[in-house]
Amino acid sequence: MATTVSLPAHAASAPKKYESGLWSWLATTDHKRIGQLYLYTSLTWFIVGGIEALLIRTQLYGPNGRIVSAQTYNELFTMHGTTMIFLVIMPLSAAFFNYLIPLQIGARDVAFPRLNAFSYWVFLFGGLFINVSWLFHAAPNAGWFGYAPLTTPTYSPGLNIDFWVIGLQILGVSSLAAGFNFITTVINMRAPGMHFMRMPVFTWMAFITQFMIVLAFPIITVAVTFLMLDRFFGTNFYEITAGADPLLWQHLFWLFGHPEVYILILPAFGLVSEVLPVFSRKPLFGYPVMVYSGILIAFLGFGVWAHHMFAVGMGPIADSFFSITTMLIAIPTGVKIFNWLGTMWGGSLRFTTAMKYAIALVAFFTIGGISGVMHASPPSDLQQTDSYFIVAHFHYVLFGGSMMGLFAGLYFYYPKITGRIMSERLGSWHFWLTAIGMTLTFFPMHFLGLDGMPRRISTYDAGQGWEFNNHLATVGAFMIAVGLLFMIYNWFHSMKAGEIAGNDPWGGATLEWMIPSPPPDYNFATIPTVTSRYPLWDRKSPKLTTDVPHGAAAEQEVDVTLGGKNAGRLKTPADTQLNAPTAHPSANELGIVMPTPTVKPLIAAFALGSVFIGLIMHKNLPIMFLAAAIFVLTLYSWLLTPLEPEHH
Amino acid sequence: MTRDLRMRWLTPALALLLALSLSACGSFAPNTIFGAHSEFGHSVDTLTRRLLYAGLTVFVLIEGLLIYILVKFRDHEGNREAKQIHGNTTLEIGWTLVPAVILAFIAVPTIKTIFETQAKAIPSALQVEVIGHQWWWEFRYPQYGVTTANELYLPVGRTANFALTTKDVLHSFWIPQLNGKRDLISNHTNYIWFTPDSTFAWNGFCAEYCGTSHANMRFKVFTVTPAEFDAYIKHQQTLAVGSAPTAAAADSGKTGAAPVTQVATSTAATTPASAGAKPPVATPVMNVSDTSTATYPRSKLPEWVIPKTPTPANLTFDESVVGDAARGAAMFKTAPCIACHTVKGVPTAAGMIGPNLTHVGSRTTIAGGIYPNDLKHLELWIKNAPEMKAGSLMPLFGKNEKGATPGFYTDQQIADLAAYLSSLK
Repeated sequence: MATTVSLPAHAASAPKKYESGLWSWLATTDHKRIGQLYLYTSLTWFIVGGIEALLIRTQLYGPNGRIVSAQTYNELFTMHGTTMIFLVIMPLSAAFFNYLIPLQIGARDVAFPRLNAFSYWVFLFGGLFINVSWLFHAAPNAGWFGYAPLTTPTYSPGLNIDFWVIGLQILGVSSLAAGFNFITTVINMRAPGMHFMRMPVFTWMAFITQFMIVLAFPIITVAVTFLMLDRFFGTNFYEITAGADPLLWQHLFWLFGHPEVYILILPAFGLVSEVLPVFSRKPLFGYPVMVYSGILIAFLGFGVWAHHMFAVGMGPIADSFFSITTMLIAIPTGVKIFNWLGTMWGGSLRFTTAMKYAIALVAFFTIGGISGVMHASPPSDLQQTDSYFIVAHFHYVLFGGSMMGLFAGLYFYYPKITGRIMSERLGSWHFWLTAIGMTLTFFPMHFLGLDGMPRRISTYDAGQGWEFNNHLATVGAFMIAVGLLFMIYNWFHSMKAGEIAGNDPWGGATLEWMIPSPPPDYNFATIPTVTSRYPLWDRKSPKLTTDVPHGAAAEQEVDVTLGGKNAGRLKTPADTQLNAPTAHPSANELGIVMPTPTVKPLIAAFALGSVFIGLIMHKNLPIMFLAAAIFVLTLYSWLLTPLEPEHH
Repeated sequence: MTRDLRMRWLTPALALLLALSLSACGSFAPNTIFGAHSEFGHSVDTLTRRLLYAGLTVFVLIEGLLIYILVKFRDHEGNREAKQIHGNTTLEIGWTLVPAVILAFIAVPTIKTIFETQAKAIPSALQVEVIGHQWWWEFRYPQYGVTTANELYLPVGRTANFALTTKDVLHSFWIPQLNGKRDLISNHTNYIWFTPDSTFAWNGFCAEYCGTSHANMRFKVFTVTPAEFDAYIKHQQTLAVGSAPTAAAADSGKTGAAPVTQVATSTAATTPASAGAKPPVATPVMNVSDTSTATYPRSKLPEWVIPKTPTPANLTFDESVVGDAARGAAMFKTAPCIACHTVKGVPTAAGMIGPNLTHVGSRTTIAGGIYPNDLKHLELWIKNAPEMKAGSLMPLFGKNEKGATPGFYTDQQIADLAAYLSSLK
């Protein structure tokens, strides 16, 4: 069936200076650029958080360490956790949400491109804000979950926790805005034929994650707002001398905090579900189950929070309830592991770097999951909790899980982003140093916990039997650091010297591999019609998808008129983009209207952030009001400006 | 050829893993959570072992399967066509139900142990109040009117019921070889009980991050025979050495007083037994020379209970100075110490902010369990406590020490005070 499209001769354009150079990045609304901004920013924070980890591990190498003071150590472990969770794993996942979701669903951008840019700039501001605290010797120091009443003004009178609460609020705004954006995008902008059950699993996991974000972040907003009111306006939400109950903070925090850890892992699960089928040359095993288990994990994830509180004395009934729900959530999680094994079973396995990382997630997350089930039994957890056994668990699921999945995604999608392939040899060095380093760092921590070593201690005494495992852990941490150097070199070197990728270097199955690498700003010259879960295998390697359910095939052809005259016929994307020459037509030439670049999201983000700067400067009202005014005016101007140039 | 290259990593990887696992066996672990010496610890132990074995089995099965798959189906050249299977409902149901069944095997004993260990303590239990402070432990025996700090004496074979509170932020009470931990929550009283089954000395830790010196908030536990415990209590009830004998008989010896009321955590009041609990082994530890102070003999302290924390390099003390306890006693009556510390028998010393010092001389450690209790460490501590322990709320007193507040004692004066405190056995 053919459609006719009529386009203006000239589409209006943005200010010339936004077309290239630094301005083009500051004014971008292109999801692919925003994805890259998230990517490079989060990798930078990964190095910062990694240095914090190396300092921690150096201090803990031997007993009675004097590398850093207790005060500095407490700032280091707090910032390491906060950085890795909020400034690395979440934004690195967001990099993939941004880059991939529109490509995978066959869209040209997200639903709200300017809001998308706003999310990034707010995130950048928040990360810088919370790290500026180091310059004041006042980095947050009450742990990444900041229990009251330690965080109240009585026990933390300095700026440290002020930086923490404000930083978290700012970062929350970024995540929430992005959550609404992606939900709208996935619901409304899927290509024709892409039913929900034909979406790639990464998009599914990302979609589910957005719902968790939108439901969980308001809870921490409430918890942190109460703390902000206590700290800045003298209220008594957590003030124990006024009779406050510290458990209020704990319940609110963990009601957010537990879904948060599923927010951290599901995108990585999604990436693994993309990588494994491609390098096994067969479809994902149990696609519907993978989708439903993701939904179930998200749902159950809101019902297990108090398993972080088994030592607080909630009573046997509450303990029992949360013990059972925590054990229940292990089932859909375990099912995913089995389905990945099933994906590889009988396959034709190619061990590219991306594949190695995907396999590493399966191997390491299993270990983290097993220790997690051990924590689910409250009486046993009373020995495990707040010891290094827990530290081992969450590093296995966060580093061995989330980071492995994210690295798999980086190596898998690097060709799509840059147009070149990373060196397999260097990738192998990175992989082995990371996998072995990770094992050396975190496996001994299981023993440390079982040997009675508490967590969050700036030092430990000699003769407790803890030296050897701490030595191993420190060596492993440095190994990981060295491995990362290989990746950084590989990343930048391959941009110039790597093999040209072409559209589809791996033999991929999904829509993003149909278009050039890197894609043109409009992504798809023609929005494709999707006929199965594996639209590209349908076209290129139909043998791989014979058993996968298919819809009726549709040949799509488009008549294009330019300036009123017939300009030819565009056939299916298979003709135009699969075998694309390196030079591809511009959006203008194809008559595709793209959003206009604008710096208003950046200005709005920084204005909003400046309100908080005024707050931390001892409630400087002039600054706060000025910043708020700029924010409102910018927002007003932004909302009144059409997204795209006029078309008739 | 390619087969060899791929296999090359397998052996070193497995060897590494084996080495790491074996590093656990036979290693020195004085604070291990295994083999815990109380019925509580024993119940938890049983559960933990069951979880560990189940976990290890799952680990071997899944990782083994993974390794098998990686070896069997690797095909870098893509010579073999992959089998196009993409789902199997029977398998899906199977591997959903089997884990559920395994979890049931864990859940049932878990729930059972929860209710057993959180039942109300038996009425005849020894009541102990644990009060957390930044960064030291206050222990009280309300039935006997005894208050002490950083050292906990418990009789073997008698259930001890702990009422846990905190004066400031959250802390957590953990003696790995005796009990699972329980948090100290502001504006709450939490309870935990256990019955020690053997005599020994144990390390205790704070297990909830509580600020600057969380790592330095340790305590020592001494489980002794009932007779030794009685002797200990009797001694702790006496007034401080050298104080006026006329001071109260009123304070001493409240034996058999009514137990502290506690919030019922369950209606079942059970005796503290669990299947396979070991009968208490009450080996006497104290010999005649200790009975005057009725404390755990220093000669029998295991190495790991004796702190090894080095003192700060830049904190020095005049070694030639010899302290005079009598001079120190006279000083103490009006020294700033009395604002924060209590010494029963010195009427002016009734401060409630720092540890009770009535019998501080007979404790094995000072400063929250991080330094051995001897003259040298006491002198350094008084001279500059914040330097000795990060964030310490006790100000410095050494004349030339730099800190938040100025100090004014010479080394001689400090030595006198230390000598006096050491005499408070």
